[in-house]
Amino acid sequence: MSYGPLLFLGILFTLASSWVGLVLMPQRQLGALGQHTDTNTAAIYPQARGGEAQQGAEHYRALGCVYCHTQQVRPEGYGADIARGWGRRRTVSRDYIHDKPVMLGTMRTGPDLTNIGERQSDYSWHYKHLYNPQITSAGSVMPPYPFLFETRPIGPTGPSTNALALEGAFAPAAGHEVVPTLRARQLVEYLRSLKSSGDLPEAPLKKEEAQ
Amino acid sequence: MSSTTASKTLQAILPGDFSNEDFRRAKLAEIDASCRTPVLFFFVSGLLWLLAGTLFALVASIKLHTPGFLAGWESLTFGIVRTVHLNTVVYGFCSQAAVGVAIWLMCRLCRVPLVAPGIVTVANLFYNVGVTIGIGGILAGDSTGIEWLEMPRYATPILFVSYALIAVWTIITFRLRAERHLYVSQWYLLAAVLWFPWLYGTAQVMLIIEPVRGVVQAAVNWWFAHNVLGLWFTPIGLAAIYYFIPKVIGRPIHSYYLSVLGFWSLALFYNWNGMHHLVGGPMPAWMITISIVASVMMLIPVLTVAINHHSTMIGHFGKLRHSPTLRFIVFGAVSYTLASLQGVLSALRSFSEVAHFTHHTVAHAHLGMYAFFAMVMFGSMYYILPRITGREWPSNALISIHFWGVAIGIVLYVVVLSGAGFQQGRMMNDPTVKFLDVVKFTIPYLQIRTASGLLMAVGHVAFFVNFGWLLVRMFAPYRKPVVSILAGAEIASPSGK
Amino acid sequence: MPVITLILLGSILLLPAAALLSLRWASRSGQLGRFDRAALLPFDEEEPVGRATDQILGDNRR
Repeated sequence: MSYGPLLFLGILFTLASSWVGLVLMPQRQLGALGQHTDTNTAAIYPQARGGEAQQGAEHYRALGCVYCHTQQVRPEGYGADIARGWGRRRTVSRDYIHDKPVMLGTMRTGPDLTNIGERQSDYSWHYKHLYNPQITSAGSVMPPYPFLFETRPIGPTGPSTNALALEGAFAPAAGHEVVPTLRARQLVEYLRSLKSSGDLPEAPLKKEEAQ
Repeated sequence: MSSTTASKTLQAILPGDFSNEDFRRAKLAEIDASCRTPVLFFFVSGLLWLLAGTLFALVASIKLHTPGFLAGWESLTFGIVRTVHLNTVVYGFCSQAAVGVAIWLMCRLCRVPLVAPGIVTVANLFYNVGVTIGIGGILAGDSTGIEWLEMPRYATPILFVSYALIAVWTIITFRLRAERHLYVSQWYLLAAVLWFPWLYGTAQVMLIIEPVRGVVQAAVNWWFAHNVLGLWFTPIGLAAIYYFIPKVIGRPIHSYYLSVLGFWSLALFYNWNGMHHLVGGPMPAWMITISIVASVMMLIPVLTVAINHHSTMIGHFGKLRHSPTLRFIVFGAVSYTLASLQGVLSALRSFSEVAHFTHHTVAHAHLGMYAFFAMVMFGSMYYILPRITGREWPSNALISIHFWGVAIGIVLYVVVLSGAGFQQGRMMNDPTVKFLDVVKFTIPYLQIRTASGLLMAVGHVAFFVNFGWLLVRMFAPYRKPVVSILAGAEIASPSGK
Repeated sequence: MPVITLILLGSILLLPAAALLSLRWASRSGQLGRFDRAALLPFDEEEPVGRATDQILGDNRR
């Protein structure tokens, strides 16, 4: 005998169950999560990104940085994320409310970048690292991004102020300089904006750190 | 009209060089022939995407241990090449092979020829236009940045229409079936074609067209991405295994009731698994816990299927020597069990603490998508293609090169990267080890990965040559072979002709 | 109460109830009878049980 309709219903019901449970329920619980205002300091967290940094996020997405770098700090005692200095506290849902898309990542070929803006705020370090990671981190497997930079002859007024200070094997040909393009500048603004360190009730900083 | 009557009528009309066997095969041949054009389109375009995907895989793999390789080309930067590799093999090859196999299997089990095969061919053309635009978009920097859903929004509606058309056609074939009984493969096929457009549609709307807020995206993302494997590829792969093992060895499945248990437990538990990709992440604990529980429950369908298939095979392992289909399918079936057990283990919090974020996960993904699914698709293609084209495989040597190349390649890949990935995770969890030392530790293993990729590439090229040769023969004038592989083993010697 | 809560609560009750009812319906109308005969579906008079197919490698190929 045929039980086609029964099969059909079973197929629909089973997927409907997790569609309700893992799609609608998270949307109900977290879909309207907003910023938190600290009752003492009136500080609002998290803040939306500035325009330049937001443009940089688009380059981060397009170049596929997420495939080697996570943006999530696991809780203390679970893995060594906090011990490695990748964050002062675990990250929680509220940290990500402005992200489109959310780029949590699933692979750590390179280190976590949740708080790279706190850990490394030096512009020239970021530029050199993007131009060729071997300059700052010899032995890294991160690809160089020469196409985010322009190699051009030094003008009559001398080297540009934003030219990279490159030495040895990494230096451009004599009479030339390497300057970051707009995309490189935006990408570095994005990286410098990565900070998930607000003091939240659901993820408090340790007292001495929170001040 | 029964096939016996059909044979007799045909025998009266046609003179000459046809054996009784040819006439007895008339009904199956009619069904096979009705699928010829659409299934060939899906297989040929799938295989072309596989070759492209293999090339991108090799480039990505080399880049991960030699970062200076092709570094000046923006479209070939690691983050893009890796993504193009995933999308070509998942949406270009695996999905198209899956659809080709699903259509043929559905027609055979329903015992009806495919109606209006032209519609399915049109769906295929649509689909390939969609994949081409999608891949082009990723190369141009328009990736959405959402794993498994990178194709930009101007490509995905084309794919969705194509999936919907294929689903509708599968259901129409099912409704027109001449056989009232339903085989377990048909359940899996019907489920897959109904589940996938739902998954894909939900993910597109909630992540790309009207993105939801914050980590709800991550929840929808992994609900989708895990279910692509669990509710689209796995059911079609299992449908093929449930059909081809009995078909090749000539013995019904060991226990039909076990297969019922296997199907419904998979349907109930698999779709709740997705959040185990976010263990330790910024999600409420209940979401992750419920997925870990469901992941452990997957032991039921996996062991059920494994016991059932193994019990069917007992006493017939000798046939592996003679049937390329059985070799690939059994390899895939064993890999399914191993991949699922590794998946259960990886979902546990204690194991995930180490293995998450490492190459262990990469190895696991390839064990599932390649060692299980792609191998089952290869096996199915070895069975289906001679039957829909009416030609034999031109070269047994090429079949062997294909099998041993990809089998050795993927075993090497999975074993080496699983082990190295686990050690990588242990080193990362020890804060006294410098991060760069963890990176340097992985490099030799990544080089072995490139070597294993080359082995698989050799296998793919061998398959491609054999396939192309078969197609050339298809268009050449037909010469009746002395011994037809299309017939069974015991009539393999020419009888009186 | 928000609409989404109603949908969630409703589906928690309705999905299993519908599943049980449809199972009862199918069972009563005899749809599940002689269930395991379907195991023979891959076979037919052209390729019956006991006949191996696809034996093309090794000794069988001349």
